[in-house]
Amino acid sequence: MTTNPRRNLANRCNALKSTGPRSASGKRASSQNSRKHGLNSVPDFESSSEYRALVDLIAEEGFSGFACADIASSLLNYRRVMDAYYDTYTSPEPVDEFLRDANMKTSNPIFSELLSPSDSEPQDVREMAAFFASMQRQERRKGGPVSRRSSDTHKLIRYQRNGIARLSRAVRQG
Amino acid sequence: MLYNIHFSIDVDVAMPVEDKSKSLLPFLSSPKLLPYESEAEFQSGLQSLLSELDNPSPLAVALISQLNESLWWIKRHTVDKELLLHEAMARLLSKAGSNWMGSGNSALSLALEHYLDGSAHKDETDVIEEALTDGNLTLSDLRVRAFKDAARHIKMVDDLIHRQHQTMRHLQRSIDSIDYKSRLIKRMDLELAALESKQSAKGALTLDDKSS
Repeated sequence: MTTNPRRNLANRCNALKSTGPRSASGKRASSQNSRKHGLNSVPDFESSSEYRALVDLIAEEGFSGFACADIASSLLNYRRVMDAYYDTYTSPEPVDEFLRDANMKTSNPIFSELLSPSDSEPQDVREMAAFFASMQRQERRKGGPVSRRSSDTHKLIRYQRNGIARLSRAVRQG
Repeated sequence: MLYNIHFSIDVDVAMPVEDKSKSLLPFLSSPKLLPYESEAEFQSGLQSLLSELDNPSPLAVALISQLNESLWWIKRHTVDKELLLHEAMARLLSKAGSNWMGSGNSALSLALEHYLDGSAHKDETDVIEEALTDGNLTLSDLRVRAFKDAARHIKMVDDLIHRQHQTMRHLQRSIDSIDYKSRLIKRMDLELAALESKQSAKGALTLDDKSS
């Protein structure tokens, strides 16, 4: 891993020229980039062993067959949400310390030097620097690890609300 | 009747409270804790909640363990609010101090963390005090500014805590409903038994009348 700021900045500039993955495996990997928690997918609880064990357990408490199935799947769904909540909380998006701490004023000459061999116009240098600055602003706005995990878990509130409402309804109507 | 039979097998009245949570399926009862959290503390919270119910059924135990987890999340998020403040304080200090590019935010953040809990080395204390002097700030000024700076994220954490409270209300209602149902079944069993004994007593009297 490089620690040289010039090298790091050069790598960043080259990465900006990238037009995305070309190989099939690269495309397959990047197709999963936006997948965060998987809570929008439809789960198949009925075929799991946990579901059957839970249905048997609840059936012994005198609930009807339909109520047992409803309570078991609601409980498993709630657990799925809470597991995703825990995973999101424990693995927030990492802080890009280089981008966050880079001093743009001292970076401008590096930009000029990096771009000058390829006969770039000063306009290109300014655009590159502006793009880098906007990325830096975004990175700083996200804050540190605690801020990131707070905003990441905050996105799961609606899943939690729906999950617990479904569970509560299933138990009370059972 | 099935209900009562099951009760005497899995969640016996004589069964100690700690065994009741263990009788549950492992995927519902095993907690997911952070490396620095104490499982004993988590379990003691669960036991104290379980001890408030007379004879919790397995489903009630499952719901109580979810409730305990919600309480645990509230604790975590409350700690996070303070950490957010520390994070913002470190950010403001690094802007104010001269070490913006040098040591970076992480080192300063760690030094501030130690400084606030009183375990800072001399170097760390010097770095923090120098940064405070550079920014012409006191620690309480810094805290006030940090609160303003981190307000958006603190509001998010408040929302998360509020959500856990709502979740607990839902779980509490569900547990009440199971408890009510079990009481109702017990009462019906008792009434049935009373009716049967009345009926048999009546039958015995009729037989006596006939024989006399």
